[in-house]
Amino acid sequence: MLVDYLERGVLAGAIAGIAYGVYMAIVANPLIGYMETLADGREHGGHAHGTGDHSHEAAEHAHAVSEATTAVVSVGSGVLWGILLGGVFALAFYFLEPALPGRGRLKTYVLAGAGFLTVSVAPWLVLPPATPGAELAFDPTVRSAIYVGMMVLGALVAAVSIYGYRRVSGGRGLLGVVTAAIPIVSLVAVTAVAAPTVVESGSTPTALVTAFRGLTVLSQAALWTLVAGSFGWLQARAGVRSATDRREDLLTSP
Amino acid sequence: MTTTETVHDRIGTARDELTTGQLLAVFAFVAAATFALLFLQDPLAHDSMHNFRHAAGVICH
Repeated sequence: MLVDYLERGVLAGAIAGIAYGVYMAIVANPLIGYMETLADGREHGGHAHGTGDHSHEAAEHAHAVSEATTAVVSVGSGVLWGILLGGVFALAFYFLEPALPGRGRLKTYVLAGAGFLTVSVAPWLVLPPATPGAELAFDPTVRSAIYVGMMVLGALVAAVSIYGYRRVSGGRGLLGVVTAAIPIVSLVAVTAVAAPTVVESGSTPTALVTAFRGLTVLSQAALWTLVAGSFGWLQARAGVRSATDRREDLLTSP
Repeated sequence: MTTTETVHDRIGTARDELTTGQLLAVFAFVAAATFALLFLQDPLAHDSMHNFRHAAGVICH
Protein backbone atom coordinates (compact mmCIF):
# COMPACT_ATOMS: atom_id res chain seq x y z
CA MET A 1 0.00 0.00 0.00
CA LEU A 2 2.85 2.35 0.92
CA VAL A 3 4.60 1.47 -2.32
CA ASP A 4 1.38 2.07 -4.32
CA TYR A 5 1.03 5.52 -2.76
CA LEU A 6 4.67 6.32 -3.53
CA GLU A 7 4.24 5.16 -7.13
CA ARG A 8 1.20 7.41 -7.64
CA GLY A 9 3.00 10.26 -5.88
CA VAL A 10 5.98 10.06 -8.20
CA LEU A 11 3.66 9.91 -11.21
CA ALA A 12 1.65 12.91 -9.94
CA GLY A 13 4.96 14.70 -9.31
CA ALA A 14 6.08 13.95 -12.86
CA ILE A 15 2.83 15.42 -14.27
CA ALA A 16 3.21 18.56 -12.13
CA GLY A 17 6.96 18.69 -12.80
CA ILE A 18 6.51 18.62 -16.57
CA ALA A 19 4.06 21.52 -16.32
CA TYR A 20 6.54 23.37 -14.11
CA GLY A 21 9.34 22.58 -16.58
CA VAL A 22 7.26 24.15 -19.36
CA TYR A 23 6.78 27.24 -17.14
CA MET A 24 10.58 27.34 -16.57
CA ALA A 25 11.20 27.14 -20.32
CA ILE A 26 8.70 29.72 -21.55
CA VAL A 27 8.43 32.15 -18.60
CA ALA A 28 11.13 31.86 -15.93
CA ASN A 29 14.20 31.35 -18.16
CA PRO A 30 13.59 34.38 -20.42
CA LEU A 31 12.49 36.55 -17.47
CA ILE A 32 15.53 35.73 -15.34
CA GLY A 33 17.82 36.20 -18.35
CA TYR A 34 16.32 39.65 -18.90
CA MET A 35 16.62 40.58 -15.22
CA GLU A 36 20.21 39.35 -15.25
CA THR A 37 21.19 41.64 -18.12
CA LEU A 38 19.29 44.50 -16.50
CA ALA A 39 21.21 44.00 -13.22
CA ASP A 40 24.53 43.66 -15.09
CA GLY A 41 23.87 46.82 -17.14
CA ARG A 42 23.11 48.94 -14.08
CA GLU A 43 26.13 47.52 -12.31
CA HIS A 44 28.54 48.54 -15.05
CA GLY A 45 26.90 51.92 -15.62
CA GLY A 46 26.57 52.87 -11.95
CA HIS A 47 29.74 51.75 -10.20
CA ALA A 48 32.08 52.07 -13.20
CA HIS A 49 33.86 48.75 -12.50
CA GLY A 50 34.37 49.11 -8.75
CA THR A 51 37.03 46.72 -7.50
CA GLY A 52 36.04 43.82 -5.26
CA ASP A 53 32.32 44.61 -5.51
CA HIS A 54 30.44 41.61 -4.12
CA SER A 55 27.44 41.63 -6.43
CA HIS A 56 29.72 42.16 -9.39
CA GLU A 57 31.52 38.95 -8.47
CA ALA A 58 28.17 37.24 -8.04
CA ALA A 59 27.11 38.28 -11.54
CA GLU A 60 30.38 36.99 -13.03
CA HIS A 61 30.05 33.81 -11.00
CA ALA A 62 26.59 33.13 -12.46
CA HIS A 63 28.05 32.87 -15.94
CA ALA A 64 30.51 30.06 -15.18
CA VAL A 65 28.28 27.85 -17.38
CA SER A 66 26.87 28.83 -20.78
CA GLU A 67 23.37 30.30 -20.85
CA ALA A 68 22.05 27.47 -23.03
CA THR A 69 23.26 24.87 -20.50
CA THR A 70 21.70 26.85 -17.66
CA ALA A 71 18.39 27.04 -19.53
CA VAL A 72 18.25 23.30 -20.29
CA VAL A 73 19.42 22.15 -16.84
CA SER A 74 16.99 24.56 -15.17
CA VAL A 75 14.06 23.06 -17.11
CA GLY A 76 15.21 19.55 -16.14
CA SER A 77 15.58 20.65 -12.52
CA GLY A 78 12.01 21.90 -12.62
CA VAL A 79 10.77 18.44 -13.66
CA LEU A 80 12.88 16.74 -10.96
CA TRP A 81 11.64 19.24 -8.37
CA GLY A 82 8.06 18.15 -9.15
CA ILE A 83 8.99 14.46 -8.85
CA LEU A 84 10.74 15.08 -5.50
CA LEU A 85 7.76 16.98 -4.10
CA GLY A 86 5.34 14.34 -5.44
CA GLY A 87 7.29 11.47 -3.83
CA VAL A 88 7.63 13.19 -0.46
CA PHE A 89 3.98 14.26 -0.65
CA ALA A 90 2.81 10.67 -1.21
CA LEU A 91 4.88 9.26 1.66
CA ALA A 92 3.60 11.95 4.02
CA PHE A 93 0.03 11.43 2.76
CA TYR A 94 0.19 7.69 3.37
CA PHE A 95 1.05 8.17 7.05
CA LEU A 96 -0.96 11.34 7.74
CA GLU A 97 -4.15 10.59 5.77
CA PRO A 98 -6.11 9.48 8.88
CA ALA A 99 -5.12 12.67 10.74
CA LEU A 100 -5.99 15.14 7.97
CA PRO A 101 -9.29 17.04 8.10
CA GLY A 102 -11.84 16.95 5.28
CA ARG A 103 -12.91 13.91 3.33
CA GLY A 104 -11.76 12.25 0.15
CA ARG A 105 -9.74 14.43 -2.19
CA LEU A 106 -9.99 17.51 0.04
CA LYS A 107 -7.38 15.86 2.28
CA THR A 108 -4.81 15.94 -0.52
CA TYR A 109 -5.25 19.72 -0.88
CA VAL A 110 -4.93 20.24 2.90
CA LEU A 111 -1.62 18.35 2.87
CA ALA A 112 -0.45 20.23 -0.24
CA GLY A 113 -1.21 23.51 1.55
CA ALA A 114 0.77 22.34 4.58
CA GLY A 115 3.63 21.33 2.27
CA PHE A 116 3.61 24.67 0.48
CA LEU A 117 3.68 26.48 3.84
CA THR A 118 6.55 24.31 5.05
CA VAL A 119 8.76 24.16 1.97
CA SER A 120 8.24 27.66 0.57
CA VAL A 121 6.04 30.19 2.37
CA ALA A 122 7.60 29.99 5.85
CA PRO A 123 11.23 30.32 4.61
CA TRP A 124 10.17 33.14 2.25
CA LEU A 125 8.88 35.18 5.18
CA VAL A 126 12.53 35.67 6.18
CA LEU A 127 14.29 34.99 2.86
CA PRO A 128 11.99 36.31 0.11
CA PRO A 129 12.68 35.00 -3.43
CA ALA A 130 15.81 36.83 -4.58
CA THR A 131 15.89 38.59 -7.93
CA PRO A 132 19.03 38.31 -10.08
CA GLY A 133 21.55 40.90 -8.92
CA ALA A 134 20.09 41.14 -5.41
CA GLU A 135 22.40 41.70 -2.46
CA LEU A 136 22.02 39.08 0.27
CA ALA A 137 23.03 39.53 3.91
CA PHE A 138 24.93 36.78 5.81
CA ASP A 139 26.93 34.00 4.18
CA PRO A 140 25.27 31.04 2.37
CA THR A 141 25.73 28.65 5.34
CA VAL A 142 23.85 30.96 7.70
CA ARG A 143 21.13 31.53 5.09
CA SER A 144 20.73 27.77 4.53
CA ALA A 145 20.40 27.31 8.30
CA ILE A 146 17.71 30.03 8.40
CA TYR A 147 15.90 28.36 5.48
CA VAL A 148 15.89 24.93 7.16
CA GLY A 149 14.92 26.44 10.51
CA MET A 150 11.96 28.22 8.92
CA MET A 151 10.91 24.95 7.21
CA VAL A 152 10.77 23.25 10.62
CA LEU A 153 8.79 26.19 12.02
CA GLY A 154 6.45 26.09 9.00
CA ALA A 155 5.78 22.37 9.53
CA LEU A 156 5.05 23.02 13.22
CA VAL A 157 2.65 25.86 12.39
CA ALA A 158 0.86 23.67 9.82
CA ALA A 159 0.54 20.85 12.37
CA VAL A 160 -0.77 23.18 15.11
CA SER A 161 -3.20 24.71 12.61
CA ILE A 162 -4.64 21.32 11.57
CA TYR A 163 -4.74 20.11 15.19
CA GLY A 164 -6.60 23.29 16.21
CA TYR A 165 -9.13 22.84 13.41
CA ARG A 166 -9.90 19.26 14.39
CA ARG A 167 -10.01 20.06 18.10
CA VAL A 168 -12.37 23.02 17.90
CA SER A 169 -14.79 22.07 15.16
CA GLY A 170 -14.62 18.31 15.26
CA GLY A 171 -13.90 18.59 11.55
CA ARG A 172 -16.55 21.14 10.50
CA GLY A 173 -17.52 24.76 10.84
CA LEU A 174 -16.35 28.32 10.51
CA LEU A 175 -14.91 28.43 14.04
CA GLY A 176 -12.50 25.67 13.01
CA VAL A 177 -11.32 27.66 10.00
CA VAL A 178 -10.70 30.71 12.21
CA THR A 179 -8.79 28.58 14.74
CA ALA A 180 -6.71 27.08 11.93
CA ALA A 181 -5.88 30.55 10.62
CA ILE A 182 -4.54 31.85 13.98
CA PRO A 183 -1.12 30.09 13.96
CA ILE A 184 -0.52 31.03 10.29
CA VAL A 185 -1.49 34.69 10.75
CA SER A 186 0.69 34.85 13.90
CA LEU A 187 3.68 33.45 11.99
CA VAL A 188 3.26 36.05 9.23
CA ALA A 189 2.79 38.89 11.74
CA VAL A 190 5.80 37.93 13.89
CA THR A 191 8.16 37.55 10.93
CA ALA A 192 6.91 40.80 9.39
CA VAL A 193 7.92 42.64 12.57
CA ALA A 194 10.91 40.67 13.85
CA ALA A 195 12.72 39.20 10.82
CA PRO A 196 15.85 41.03 9.62
CA THR A 197 16.00 42.23 6.02
CA VAL A 198 18.14 39.63 4.27
CA VAL A 199 17.42 40.32 0.61
CA GLU A 200 18.26 43.77 -0.74
CA SER A 201 16.95 44.01 -4.31
CA GLY A 202 19.35 46.82 -5.21
CA SER A 203 18.86 48.62 -8.51
CA THR A 204 16.13 46.33 -9.91
CA PRO A 205 12.85 48.32 -10.27
CA THR A 206 10.47 47.66 -7.36
CA ALA A 207 7.55 46.78 -9.66
CA LEU A 208 9.68 44.15 -11.42
CA VAL A 209 10.76 42.68 -8.06
CA THR A 210 7.11 42.49 -6.94
CA ALA A 211 6.05 40.87 -10.22
CA PHE A 212 8.91 38.36 -9.99
CA ARG A 213 8.02 37.42 -6.41
CA GLY A 214 4.33 37.15 -7.29
CA LEU A 215 5.19 34.79 -10.17
CA THR A 216 7.43 32.70 -7.91
CA VAL A 217 4.74 32.36 -5.22
CA LEU A 218 1.98 31.58 -7.74
CA SER A 219 4.07 29.07 -9.70
CA GLN A 220 5.03 27.14 -6.56
CA ALA A 221 1.41 27.21 -5.36
CA ALA A 222 0.32 25.91 -8.77
CA LEU A 223 2.92 23.14 -8.56
CA TRP A 224 1.55 21.96 -5.20
CA THR A 225 -2.05 22.19 -6.42
CA LEU A 226 -1.16 20.12 -9.46
CA VAL A 227 0.64 17.50 -7.33
CA ALA A 228 -2.41 17.19 -5.03
CA GLY A 229 -4.88 17.23 -7.95
CA SER A 230 -3.02 14.60 -9.97
CA PHE A 231 -2.45 12.44 -6.90
CA GLY A 232 -6.16 12.56 -5.98
CA TRP A 233 -7.09 11.71 -9.54
CA LEU A 234 -4.68 8.74 -9.60
CA GLN A 235 -6.00 7.52 -6.23
CA ALA A 236 -9.59 7.71 -7.47
CA ARG A 237 -8.65 5.93 -10.70
CA ALA A 238 -7.05 3.14 -8.65
CA GLY A 239 -10.24 2.92 -6.57
CA VAL A 240 -8.59 3.84 -3.25
CA ARG A 241 -10.97 5.09 -0.59
CA SER A 242 -10.05 5.63 3.04
CA ALA A 243 -11.71 3.62 5.82
CA THR A 244 -13.20 6.83 7.23
CA ASP A 245 -14.94 7.67 3.95
CA ARG A 246 -16.29 4.16 3.56
CA ARG A 247 -17.68 4.24 7.11
CA GLU A 248 -19.29 7.64 6.62
CA ASP A 249 -20.92 6.42 3.40
CA LEU A 250 -22.35 3.43 5.22
CA LEU A 251 -23.77 5.72 7.90
CA THR A 252 -25.32 8.24 5.53
CA SER A 253 -26.62 5.95 2.77
CA PRO A 254 -27.29 2.44 4.02
CA MET B 1 -11.27 -2.09 8.64
CA THR B 2 -14.68 -0.72 9.42
CA THR B 3 -13.59 1.68 12.18
CA THR B 4 -11.66 4.89 11.74
CA GLU B 5 -8.00 4.39 10.89
CA THR B 6 -5.32 6.23 12.82
CA VAL B 7 -1.79 7.31 11.92
CA HIS B 8 -0.60 4.54 14.23
CA ASP B 9 -2.44 1.95 12.11
CA ARG B 10 -0.74 3.23 8.99
CA ILE B 11 2.71 2.82 10.57
CA GLY B 12 1.71 -0.69 11.58
CA THR B 13 0.51 -1.53 8.06
CA ALA B 14 3.75 -0.26 6.57
CA ARG B 15 5.72 -2.38 9.02
CA ASP B 16 3.73 -5.50 8.14
CA GLU B 17 3.91 -4.97 4.41
CA LEU B 18 7.58 -4.10 4.03
CA THR B 19 10.42 -6.44 4.92
CA THR B 20 13.57 -5.24 6.71
CA GLY B 21 15.41 -5.55 3.42
CA GLN B 22 12.96 -3.29 1.64
CA LEU B 23 13.13 -0.70 4.44
CA LEU B 24 16.94 -0.78 4.29
CA ALA B 25 16.75 -0.32 0.52
CA VAL B 26 14.46 2.69 0.94
CA PHE B 27 16.74 4.29 3.56
CA ALA B 28 19.86 3.60 1.48
CA PHE B 29 18.16 5.16 -1.52
CA VAL B 30 17.15 8.27 0.43
CA ALA B 31 20.73 8.56 1.74
CA ALA B 32 22.03 8.26 -1.83
CA ALA B 33 19.58 10.90 -3.05
CA THR B 34 20.71 13.26 -0.27
CA PHE B 35 24.31 12.60 -1.27
CA ALA B 36 23.43 13.50 -4.85
CA LEU B 37 21.83 16.75 -3.71
CA LEU B 38 24.96 17.69 -1.75
CA PHE B 39 27.11 16.67 -4.70
CA LEU B 40 25.19 19.17 -6.81
CA GLN B 41 26.83 21.92 -4.77
CA ASP B 42 29.69 21.31 -7.20
CA PRO B 43 30.01 24.75 -8.89
CA LEU B 44 29.30 23.59 -12.47
CA ALA B 45 26.15 21.65 -11.58
CA HIS B 46 25.09 24.31 -9.11
CA ASP B 47 25.50 27.14 -11.61
CA SER B 48 23.68 25.36 -14.38
CA MET B 49 20.60 25.23 -12.13
CA HIS B 50 20.87 28.99 -11.62
CA ASN B 51 17.59 30.00 -13.27
CA PHE B 52 15.68 27.22 -11.57
CA ARG B 53 16.96 28.25 -8.14
CA HIS B 54 15.78 31.81 -8.77
CA ALA B 55 12.39 30.65 -10.09
CA ALA B 56 11.79 28.30 -7.16
CA GLY B 57 12.86 30.94 -4.64
CA VAL B 58 15.69 28.77 -3.29
CA ILE B 59 18.81 30.80 -3.85
CA CYS B 60 22.37 30.93 -2.54
CA HIS B 61 24.75 33.25 -4.31
